[in-house]
Amino acid sequence: MAKPKWEASLTTAKAKAKKEKKLILMDFYNKL
Amino acid sequence: MEKSFVPLQIDFNKNKALVNRFSVKWTPTIIVLDVNGDEHHRFVGFLPPEDFIGQMVLGNGKAEFNLEHFEQAIQCFQELLVRYPKTDAAPEAQYYLGVAKYKASHDPKELKSNLEILQREYPSSEWSKKAQVYALIPG
Repeated sequence: MAKPKWEASLTTAKAKAKKEKKLILMDFYNKL
Repeated sequence: MEKSFVPLQIDFNKNKALVNRFSVKWTPTIIVLDVNGDEHHRFVGFLPPEDFIGQMVLGNGKAEFNLEHFEQAIQCFQELLVRYPKTDAAPEAQYYLGVAKYKASHDPKELKSNLEILQREYPSSEWSKKAQVYALIPG
């Protein structure tokens, strides 16, 4: 399975999700 | 994942505006949003792949349910129950499947018959307890 291309901006993700009729999966991460 | 979602990663230490907006206190926190940025589902912590996918499908179904797309919601919950019936997301999906069927049909028997499935398949689940009241529905 190909690795997903993660967006870094909520604004960009919302525009892309609207255009592609998808939802947004937001992952808050923390590099320890 | 990209079939249904636009994946978005937010660095907990660098984007305090979003951390505060979504009240994130621990990582990883995974949140399912619609195009307006409204939240429909979240979970915290690392999960094995199958459980992770189960939570994603559940989130997809809950978003469709909340947006009153009941037929799409039913499809999501049924997919979860067929493909990932042993995951922790499954009892909640079973609960919402009955509710979505009721909302689509306005037939309260959907809630009662769903209770029987919950009690049989997931007897110790909180979702089985939450559906217990539907035993009072006549018929």
